Amino acid sequence: MNESQHRTTGPERTERSVSITFDRATKIYPGSETPALDALSLTVEAGELLCLVGPSGGGKTTALMLINRLIDLTSGDIRIGETSITDIGAIELRRKTGYAIQQTGLFPHMTVAQNIAVVPRILGWSAARIDARTDELLELVGLTPTAQWRARYPGQLSGGQQQRVGIARALAADPPLMLMDEPFGALDPITRTAVQDEFLAIHRAVGKTTVFVTHDIDEAIKMGDKIAVLRPGGLLAQLGPPEDLLAEPADDFVASFLGAERGLKRLGLYRLGDLAGEQREPLPDWPRLPAGMTAREALSCATAERADGVIVADGETPERAVPVARLLQPEVSEGAA
Amino acid sequence: MEAFVDAFAFMADNAGMLLDKTGEQLWLSAVAIGISLLIGVPVGLWLGHIHKGEFLAVSLTNIGRALPSLALIAIFIGLVGIGFTNVLLALVILAVPPIMSYTFVAIDSVDRDLTRAGRGMGLSPWQILLRIEIPLGLPMAFSGIRTAVVLVVSSATLATVAGGGGLGDIILNQVAYGMRGVIAAALWVAALSILADLLVAGLLRLIAPAGVRRLAAPSTSAPAAT
Amino acid sequence: MSGIATPGDPEIPDYGDASRCVIDNGVFCTDWFVQQWPEVFQPALLEHVVMTVVAVAVGFAISFIAAVLAYRRAWLSSPFGAVATFLYTLPPLALFQLLVPVTGLTMVTVEIALVCFTLVILFRAVLAGLLGVPDDAKRAARGMGLDSGQILRMVELPLAIPSIISGLRVATVLTVSIATIAAFVVDAGLGSPILKAISSPFNTQFIGAGALAVLLAFVLDGLLALVGRALTTWTRAKV
Repeated sequence: MNESQHRTTGPERTERSVSITFDRATKIYPGSETPALDALSLTVEAGELLCLVGPSGGGKTTALMLINRLIDLTSGDIRIGETSITDIGAIELRRKTGYAIQQTGLFPHMTVAQNIAVVPRILGWSAARIDARTDELLELVGLTPTAQWRARYPGQLSGGQQQRVGIARALAADPPLMLMDEPFGALDPITRTAVQDEFLAIHRAVGKTTVFVTHDIDEAIKMGDKIAVLRPGGLLAQLGPPEDLLAEPADDFVASFLGAERGLKRLGLYRLGDLAGEQREPLPDWPRLPAGMTAREALSCATAERADGVIVADGETPERAVPVARLLQPEVSEGAA
Repeated sequence: MEAFVDAFAFMADNAGMLLDKTGEQLWLSAVAIGISLLIGVPVGLWLGHIHKGEFLAVSLTNIGRALPSLALIAIFIGLVGIGFTNVLLALVILAVPPIMSYTFVAIDSVDRDLTRAGRGMGLSPWQILLRIEIPLGLPMAFSGIRTAVVLVVSSATLATVAGGGGLGDIILNQVAYGMRGVIAAALWVAALSILADLLVAGLLRLIAPAGVRRLAAPSTSAPAAT
Repeated sequence: MSGIATPGDPEIPDYGDASRCVIDNGVFCTDWFVQQWPEVFQPALLEHVVMTVVAVAVGFAISFIAAVLAYRRAWLSSPFGAVATFLYTLPPLALFQLLVPVTGLTMVTVEIALVCFTLVILFRAVLAGLLGVPDDAKRAARGMGLDSGQILRMVELPLAIPSIISGLRVATVLTVSIATIAAFVVDAGLGSPILKAISSPFNTQFIGAGALAVLLAFVLDGLLALVGRALTTWTRAKV
């Protein structure tokens, strides 16, 4: 499997992380003729982050809400690990599932610490354990010093801070799986990028199985280990890692959903540092860029400077020249100098 | 209960007197409401239009609710003496607060975007008041009027205490009219109060343009919690 | 329940030495008022407080249960609301008199009537408070695995407190006012000195009692407002 390096699908999979399997899961809302979700079958491996994308009416929120039984299946099954969700009580299931939504749903009358503590308290954790966990989570989401943030009320927080608390709250009881329903959709672009990066770091650190619903294909490409595209009518159009989708969309629908720039988007999955270059003497007068930059950004820089390539200068390995042709086909030249 | 059955007999026997008393009470109420409207509505409209005086409106509402009608009437006995005028003054004092404050809120809370649009279209302030603010504010203003009407009709029952006549004469005179009379008059005045409430509600539906009627407004004379 | 004789000439109640102010039936004689406080006004005030508190407490209990039920089953809110509104529209005196044949000239009659007047206000306040809870908070609570009892206790009711307190304030003020009329049924509360003084209008007596009633209303209102503030610290957290 040809994967770009920045996407690690193998963080330590905690034993507590489980797989989720949709087995011809179907949902037809009462009074509706067409299914909202039509015989969806897919598996989210333990520790994986699956992005569910699609236009409205595609059934992605429906699929998410079926997992923690906020709505019930019409037919088919969903399994957490080996157990069908119908065999677990709904309330019990939800307490073991982290749930984060777009508007956060933070309780305005509770402090940040009290919000985070809601599920652990119900589960009977000791006060000391809850305290320690709260501090741990606030550090994880980047709200430090924790003593300062614990006592704040949601009304005192910015949108980005609220989402981070929402994520902390979802992680509070250390659930084996996380469900996220367009959690960053209400944030402005700058904050959204920051929180996305934050969440990717968290995901790498804790490695929980996560299903992430979004209508933003770029967010899905950035965040997902795998992407499942749902078309209107609740049908699965394609499932696979981002690079596979971008390289070979299954049909016209997926292609148009990925957008006309999908070729360029694919380039965004590769880092300069991973690309083979040439040692040339002397080095051409091309833009010098850090190894962490993506191939797409590098291409953009080269275009801006009207250069035929870029120089990778990351201070560690000897500088090398990467011509534009190599940037355009990163999967061929992957393998570092 | 026997007393209730008797009461209907009493009503049949004494319809004339009951109607007389009702007339007295209604007349008193009508005059009180009329004066209160004359005082309360213009002031409420004006303050609401210029968007000033919110504190006054809120205080009035609170004070108005806290005034016991019985105490008011009693105070006026001391100041004015007994009779029609006394009770009238007390009733006016009771009725003006809800009318004025509800009218104020009704006009004050008209969506500013709409009045701005009106100004942009070249309407004069007077026209804005007449064509935009009043029609939109009708439901809430009527809610205040409804509250006042029920309050006045209800409190007018106590007019008897100050020699003001009305059905209270019967209700508080068990010696003369017996329990059946008291019950009869009590039922009568209860019906009167409900009818007055429905009448004002009906009036609103008649007057308000169809689009306005659909706007959310308190739908009864009972006070909202805020 | 005797008839009310129409007021005649002032008869100064013989409560002891009469000062100049009293003899002249001035608007308010402080000395007389202070002198009569322990025997006339204080007991009346205390009775009044008790009457009010009992009525509001019972009314709140009933309305609260009704509102929570109506919150769960929306079709219940119209019938409850209609009945409560109807009760509210009745003139207090009429309601008192209609109850007398049933429950007699007792405090029970008074309390039943007073409770009736609080119902619509409190019912609407509790229901509005519950309905005003933000949807996303409810959705998140459900998604987190709180059962409906927990959601009610931990999320919905606390967030409904501002509305509930508001309703309690209105209901309390109103009850203090209406409770003066209770004196027609039972010789208790601040209505009593008012009534007694009417037939021989001695200003200080009923102005004093009336003023006390208004003051009591404001004090109780203020107390409830303070309680409300204490319970809702989050609304005042500075951004």
